[in-house]
Amino acid sequence: MTPDAGPATILGVETSCDETAAAVVVGGRSVRSSIVSSQVDLHARFGGVVPEIASRAHVELIGPVVAEALAAASTGLHDLDAIAACRGPGLAGALLVGVSAAKALALVTGLPYVGVNHLEAHLYAAWLEEPDLEPPLAVLLVSGGHTLLVIMEAHGRYRVVGQTVDDAAGEAFDKVARFLGLGYPGGPAIDRLAPDGDPEAIRFPRAMPGEPNFSFSGLKTAVVNHARQHPDTPVADVAASFQAAVVDQLVDKLAAAADGAGAPTLVLGGGVAANSALRARVGTLGAATGRDVFLPAPAFCTDNAAMIAAAAWWRLEAVGPTPLDDGVDPTAGLGVVA
Amino acid sequence: MTLMLAIDTATPRVAVAIGEDGRVLGSVYLSARRRHAEALVPAIAYLCEQTGVELRQLGAVAVGVGPGLFTGLRVGVTTAKIMGQALEVPVVGVSSLDLVAHPLRFGGQMIAAVLDARRHEVFHARYRPVSGGVQLVTEYRVGPAVELVAELEAGGEDVVLAGDGVASNRAAFGALERAVDAGREFEAPSATALVEIADGRVGREEFSAPWDVAPLYLRASDAELAWGNRR
Repeated sequence: MTPDAGPATILGVETSCDETAAAVVVGGRSVRSSIVSSQVDLHARFGGVVPEIASRAHVELIGPVVAEALAAASTGLHDLDAIAACRGPGLAGALLVGVSAAKALALVTGLPYVGVNHLEAHLYAAWLEEPDLEPPLAVLLVSGGHTLLVIMEAHGRYRVVGQTVDDAAGEAFDKVARFLGLGYPGGPAIDRLAPDGDPEAIRFPRAMPGEPNFSFSGLKTAVVNHARQHPDTPVADVAASFQAAVVDQLVDKLAAAADGAGAPTLVLGGGVAANSALRARVGTLGAATGRDVFLPAPAFCTDNAAMIAAAAWWRLEAVGPTPLDDGVDPTAGLGVVA
Repeated sequence: MTLMLAIDTATPRVAVAIGEDGRVLGSVYLSARRRHAEALVPAIAYLCEQTGVELRQLGAVAVGVGPGLFTGLRVGVTTAKIMGQALEVPVVGVSSLDLVAHPLRFGGQMIAAVLDARRHEVFHARYRPVSGGVQLVTEYRVGPAVELVAELEAGGEDVVLAGDGVASNRAAFGALERAVDAGREFEAPSATALVEIADGRVGREEFSAPWDVAPLYLRASDAELAWGNRR
């Protein structure tokens, strides 16, 4: 099921949250450029992403970021075959900037526009470094906004077999890091500190065992309660034990989902997939169960536009261009696309 | 000969025009269900088709920069900036309040342009008609409608009220004695006015590189306001 159209060159744009990104990708796999301008410093003092601040920053950054992506790829607008943008899920005001920019470029150039689902794009990030990957895949998609277990049965066919019933995994990292005074964003902060602590110092709960869905809200409460009752516990031990509880929950459910679907390949995606403990554990799981494991580079796990351009290539072939009167869908889910 | 695309999305209405040397070749106004991001690009495509203008012939892009609806402004300003960048032409940003006042320049009275800022507040500015246009006599401001009403009352001058902030604060503005409401026809920024004003600015080379054009928000985000209050 390879697109017949040949190696189309696609400009992708991503503005769903707090990264302004643009990239040029050929044939859904070969990254010619991938520019990401992070706004993390703008949001740090608020301890989380502020939608209005993110939206304003996207308006300022989108032009320079697109220009840089084209320049870094030594590509002119006339060399492109399509223009893609993330249409959701994400922050409405933020998504509108990328979609408006991509549609304006499509109109100026006469090229097709492709509106891309953010979650689907995270799945397609895997092809950027592993061009011969073949479904079915068991994918764990974990970020500040999402925690999903997806069985990708074929291109465009997804089955969500588990998701969080409360906080996203990345949200739990942010909240616990803030409580422990480790700063924002919480994932990298805890990942840096955890190797100095004992992951078995405290036995935090592994929620909903035996079930496909995730829960992190009780874990967060347990961390807060423990730190209040035992203020002398080294912060590194708390961080390491918390991270171990998150990773256990994620990996156990990924293993069960892969077994259930008979998927021979495990894939990680989303910002939390950059976590070194999670990467190590999924690698071990693959080795122990004889499965291929694919861990995209951290730069393609966190939000980026290369994954948007990659997903757009498949979508353009399977579904065709998106009409120019299409808008954004802040709550879009992941279903059967083609 | 300069061909220009003009866009304003500061209010619920999407306004687009294509002009040639300050004369409007065609305009589209949409206040229907479709949102800014959905309606704007198809409206531009339709206008190009009907006027026979191709986007690559444009010499400039003009955009209403607000103040007004934040999400609407971001759609219009982003579209204008990216088009200017891709076409390598200058972008002219004009206040959307100016675009409300300009069509009323022949009346002789003071003009108060008033756009809805929600929460019983309005974006506003005042103008005097002068030869060939209007002259801004205040700053662009945001504040409670009742405060603007009190100011206008204290001024004791005849004034024409225009913009959608008047209808959405009818109770406050109804109390004004020496004021007339310009009504529905003047409730949103005019794309025709944008073509006229921006053409003059292009002639005087008063334009920006696309990256330098930004929405005129006048209001910080709620998070920043709350942060400021806490400190």
